[in-house]
Amino acid sequence: MMAHPSQLGFQDAASPVMEELLHFHDHTLMIVFLISTLVLYIIVAMVVTKLTDKLILDSQEIEIIWTLLPAIILILIALPSLRILYLMDEINDPHLTIKAMGHQWYWSYEYTDYEDLGFDSYMIPTQDLTPGQFRLLETDHRMVIPVESPVRILVSADDVLHSWAVPCLGIKMDAVPGRLNQTAFITSRPGVFYGQCSEICGANHSFMPIVVEAVPLEHFENWSSMMLEDT
Amino acid sequence: MSLQKPMMRGLLAKRLRFHLPIAFGIAITVALSYKFGVTEPRKKAYANFYKQYDAVKEFNAMREAGVFESVRPSGK
Repeated sequence: MMAHPSQLGFQDAASPVMEELLHFHDHTLMIVFLISTLVLYIIVAMVVTKLTDKLILDSQEIEIIWTLLPAIILILIALPSLRILYLMDEINDPHLTIKAMGHQWYWSYEYTDYEDLGFDSYMIPTQDLTPGQFRLLETDHRMVIPVESPVRILVSADDVLHSWAVPCLGIKMDAVPGRLNQTAFITSRPGVFYGQCSEICGANHSFMPIVVEAVPLEHFENWSSMMLEDT
Repeated sequence: MSLQKPMMRGLLAKRLRFHLPIAFGIAITVALSYKFGVTEPRKKAYANFYKQYDAVKEFNAMREAGVFESVRPSGK
């Protein structure tokens, strides 16, 4: 799951939280279009009018209206927003915890729940790509997780600020040296999900992508056994 | 010859009575068009996608296409 050329909107959601965020964005954008259309009409009407009024007296009615109406609109935006905010904060008994460490200029992943599995994830340089691979998005090792399982990611950094982001899962979490940030997600379907470092971190900030691969549990277990044998 | 006295009051109110319904009407039409043209179809699209979604079948198709690195196609 990645952006396609000239894409304007969000990527297709691959987690329940991202689906909620998509619908909330639609709801809020609808309100934005409503207000913008109204304001644009009023501006045009005011620009073309021949009426002028030197004394605007006692406009209590309209003052009440244009105080109450925006307050109601803001509440209509705030309620679903807070709902999603608290939904995102729920840590729902993760099956797996992975540490994602940002370095200049690659990510490293540590799976230490059962054994000590750790590996680095470097971007594949453009000249080494095979046909079908995505430029500036592929990595030599992918972060593999079991599909439809709650996963906790602990994000930190080794040197400077980075940010671990995967748009179609609705995740972005800053990687701060000396700090552990926690985020959790569930993938709704199997697949490969791409992201890029989202905090300026030096010369190769644009060249340290993130690739998450969601596969059924038995394949995840085979992969992690194979990775442990290799290291 | 006497001219009819022109309307001297209520000009703003008259203008507002004319323009405000049109302004709100257009704004609400735009909002409803977005709601029923984009928001609801998107919700339905996601609901329909997952209603008939077979994760195992999709996974196997992706696997055979060589999309994954942790799982090779079953022939290999």
